[in-house]
Amino acid sequence: MAVLPELGLVRSGDLDEVLATVDSDHAPYAGGTELVPAMGLGLRRPEAIVDLKRVEALQGIVVDAEFGTATIGAAVTHRRLSDHPAVREHLPTLAAAASRVGNARVRSTGTVGGNLCFAEPRSDLGCVLLALGATAEVRSAEGTRTTSIDELIVGAFETSLTENEILASVTVPFEPPGMSYWKLQSYERPTLGVALVVTEDQWQVTVGAATERPTRAVLAAGDAAGLAAFVDRLEFSDDMTGPPDYKRSVLRAHLGRTLGAAP
Amino acid sequence: MTSPAATSTVIRARVNGRDVEMLVPVRLTVADLLRERLGLTGTKVSCEMQVCGACTVLMDGDPISSCTALACDLDGAEVLTVEGLARGRDLHPVQEAFMAANALQCGFCTPGFIMMAVALLDACPDAGPEEIREWMDGNLCRCTGYAPIETAVTLAASRLAAAAVEDGQ
Repeated sequence: MAVLPELGLVRSGDLDEVLATVDSDHAPYAGGTELVPAMGLGLRRPEAIVDLKRVEALQGIVVDAEFGTATIGAAVTHRRLSDHPAVREHLPTLAAAASRVGNARVRSTGTVGGNLCFAEPRSDLGCVLLALGATAEVRSAEGTRTTSIDELIVGAFETSLTENEILASVTVPFEPPGMSYWKLQSYERPTLGVALVVTEDQWQVTVGAATERPTRAVLAAGDAAGLAAFVDRLEFSDDMTGPPDYKRSVLRAHLGRTLGAAP
Repeated sequence: MTSPAATSTVIRARVNGRDVEMLVPVRLTVADLLRERLGLTGTKVSCEMQVCGACTVLMDGDPISSCTALACDLDGAEVLTVEGLARGRDLHPVQEAFMAANALQCGFCTPGFIMMAVALLDACPDAGPEEIREWMDGNLCRCTGYAPIETAVTLAASRLAAAAVEDGQ
């Protein structure tokens, strides 16, 4: 059995104390579904983990019916997100995607914030949250800033967070009509994820998992040429789940089937 | 933080109904705590990547991968392992169903499958084929005996439902 290196623990219910501690040697820690295996493999070697799970401010799901948004604490697990009645009502596509992340064990421990901050490209939530136009609240001892999901996830396993910052929450506008999410998945992680928001005059297409970061295009409905150009522009990753040409073909077939316009 | 972070911490947990209070290193996994320190070797360790499910135990009723969960997180938690299912000589209905359906070959994956099935049927007593596949697809059987496992979970679900009716629930 792999034995982890010596590791310190900082545990506090106080967000300010947590923010004063987090740095390159003190890694934010919540579900541990990505961090613990990464430490086991020697890919991450923090001196200490800073437990975010006991910080109340990172745990809530707050629904604002007036503004039509839900604010989801970074330490909320996939299970809690997908089981939340108001999330199921106002964000059914997000709830359904969360209910199928990884496996049942990952869903009971893995968190929304961890999923986004680890920035594993083969993720459902990044794609769906980008499609929904979610914003992220980023906190540090110096203050608070708000960023889009597009600015948060900058590449494979790479975010725009500095080593002193943590993701505190994401605020998600209620799901618009005409939204769907479809994924191709054989193992633990999606090979390709496609979030669509289709209205009478607009196609909004967000592609995730098969590229280094989720990518969104907003097109006029029926703009088959624009759709083809978007698909051509995407740089698909080459990994165990298949070569780029395969992923492009699957995406084309899916878009052809759902939008009635083969790109 | 001026002082270095503590590398061990005291946990108070309930493991299979027994109160446990221990000083554990932060780096200790739940699986190592169970197997090496508490002698509960029913929980198996295989992939250590949360993929195979052999190490599945329940923490406050939720299934977790004990191989990659840290023991320091068990403070205040209730843990259930395969050893905690039977009541004396009476096996848990899920264990009975696995025997009745011959849902094991080498048996290495069995504790994990059984714990996942227990978690499923607690959360979703009327689980049908779709829920059963959705929950169990995170557990691997290298003997590939999946069909009898599905049969066993279905059987356990119907037996538990019948028992619940008898109890007037």
